Amino acid sequence: MAEVRPDEVSDILRKQLAGYEKEVDVYDVGTVLQIGDGVARVYGLSNAMMSELVEFPNGIFGMVLNLEEDNVGCILFGESSEINEGDAVKRTGRVASMPVGEQMLGRVVNPLGQPIDGRGPVRTERLAPIERKALGVIQRQPVKEPLQTGIKAVDGMIPIGRGQRELIIGDRQTGKTAIALDTIINQKYTHLEQARQSRIKPVYCIYVAVGQKSSTVAQVVDKLKQEGAMEYTTIIAATASDPAPMQFIAPYSGAALGEYFRDSGRDALVVYDDLTKQAQAYRQVSLLLRRPPGREAYPGDIFYLHSRLLERASKLSDELGGGSLTALPVIETQAGDVSAYIPTNVISITDGQIYLEPGMFNSGIRPAINVGISVSRVGGNAQIKAMKKVAGRLRIELAQYRELEAFAKFGSDLDKSTLAQLRRGARLVELLKQGQFVPLPVEKQVVSLFAGTNGFLDDIPLEQIERYEREVFELMDLKHTDVLRSIAETRDIGDAVAEQLRSVLKDFTDTFKASVKA
Amino acid sequence: MKNLRIARRYAAALMAYAEQSGNVDQTARDCALIDSVLSTSRPLRMLTVSPVVSPLKKTSVFKAIFATRINPHTMTFLELVIHKQRESHLSEIVQVFANLRDAKAGIINVDVTTAVEFTPSQENDLRLRMERFTEKKVRLRLALDPGLKGGLIVQIGDRVLDASIRRQLEILKARLVEPGPFSN
Repeated sequence: MAEVRPDEVSDILRKQLAGYEKEVDVYDVGTVLQIGDGVARVYGLSNAMMSELVEFPNGIFGMVLNLEEDNVGCILFGESSEINEGDAVKRTGRVASMPVGEQMLGRVVNPLGQPIDGRGPVRTERLAPIERKALGVIQRQPVKEPLQTGIKAVDGMIPIGRGQRELIIGDRQTGKTAIALDTIINQKYTHLEQARQSRIKPVYCIYVAVGQKSSTVAQVVDKLKQEGAMEYTTIIAATASDPAPMQFIAPYSGAALGEYFRDSGRDALVVYDDLTKQAQAYRQVSLLLRRPPGREAYPGDIFYLHSRLLERASKLSDELGGGSLTALPVIETQAGDVSAYIPTNVISITDGQIYLEPGMFNSGIRPAINVGISVSRVGGNAQIKAMKKVAGRLRIELAQYRELEAFAKFGSDLDKSTLAQLRRGARLVELLKQGQFVPLPVEKQVVSLFAGTNGFLDDIPLEQIERYEREVFELMDLKHTDVLRSIAETRDIGDAVAEQLRSVLKDFTDTFKASVKA
Repeated sequence: MKNLRIARRYAAALMAYAEQSGNVDQTARDCALIDSVLSTSRPLRMLTVSPVVSPLKKTSVFKAIFATRINPHTMTFLELVIHKQRESHLSEIVQVFANLRDAKAGIINVDVTTAVEFTPSQENDLRLRMERFTEKKVRLRLALDPGLKGGLIVQIGDRVLDASIRRQLEILKARLVEPGPFSN
């Protein structure tokens, strides 16, 4: 081990100190006129920029949001109790920014990029401004690659593409966060060697927690660690006890980090959980800045708050690297009211929504997705051919089933074709049920839906379908990995493969039916 | 310092009026006198802001104190301010007037805080340098703060030029301690 001599140390220190003699620190100051409720009015700061970071005493930072004739309104990113009237406020000369880089992966940070996971500082090479204008039309290209969520109902009928914005909307406790988490966990396969060989690009994930309980965020971190998903995920948390300004900027910080990956030609996914709380935080901040309240006391630019956030999710043109940023915003509705102010705003901004119903959830259909009113405006462009083939009929069959559901009570008094439709529909609904934290790779989803839509389940009792599916997967993994691999690599089911699959399923179904009778 | 809008309007009006009648300097001296009397006399300040005393009484008090010492135009202005019930803003009005006057005359206030007492020749030297730097006439206001440990701080309006040893030590400390997210 090398030794450091004491005179070496003093030599180094002297050199470091020598450079400081000539430096004069120049900064602009203002004085605090009024402080309270997380908002400070500052006199002076005549050169302050909009959204600039300013420094209060005791290391508290604030952001300039109101530039008025004789004062500047700032929101505080800390406790206002330590600041007094008459205190000096310094400009930092920097618009609010967030550190971005690969070093952020695996970390839990607050919206200013400061770590809150106790693992030491995050040292990145770059800072990106939190607020940034979204790209124009020419810089984009249409969404065409799938972002596999691993959830059969979603990937089959409401497929999400890389660069799309898909809203997850529903009442409280209906499984919104669960869908987002499963999607994040499912991106693990994109970082494996196999995916690279199949020319699937890795997806980096960002989970933005706005206004949630710290215990919930801790649980999320834990779960992601368990599933090995933290290696490619960053969590940005502005929990319920964080000041409203933090909660308000948290999604923008997430977008800034996502844009870093997008602009470097990679794919990223950002989950905003949830935007309802961000809207409430922004309302609080706006009212305290004395901006005129509009409908439901929200400020007039509440739409712009969400639209400029979501517009940053896009797929870039090939000239710019072909990267993408997919956004999964979450909105919580009250009593299923999707025609309330904020939900309608966000629905009109996103490229589709996944609608979760408490009724379905309580009757055991989980994920509780109402396929009828859920939509993905990107649709088939974001599906591999194989999935398109099997899921094409899925939607129609489910729609027909729902129409006939009311007649199910008549039992055997119905004609044969109606009975057949009811049987098929009920089995498909059963098939689409999926546990939490068990996202399925797309080739397995294809096999499962193939079985369902080609009638292999029609004679299986409902309660046996889960076991059927499980054993089919075991069989495929054991004896027919070539089929799975073929689907994964060619992204299609060729006629030969379809035939093979059909015969395998026929044999398996016969054996299964026998085991049921026994 | 709060709510300068009212003070600004009145001060601007007084300035326009003074320029029109060609006695800006006189008016400035009058305002300085009013400012100093108000700041040194607590009873007068209390009287000025009190809503209980009638405007008539206030006018007669102000007349008694100032009539012989200031320009008749400025006296009229005082009466107007009281008549409009804005006398509680009087000290702000005269301060803003002084600022306006400085701006018009190209005078700028420079606040310098030093760690040690400056000799008159050092003061002069500093003023000349500031005048060269700002290209305006400089009114130097000196203050003493041994806490700076050395060097000086110059504040011109909002801009602060901090050449104090204390600041250097703060920066050095920040750089030696682990860097935070804003020191990239």
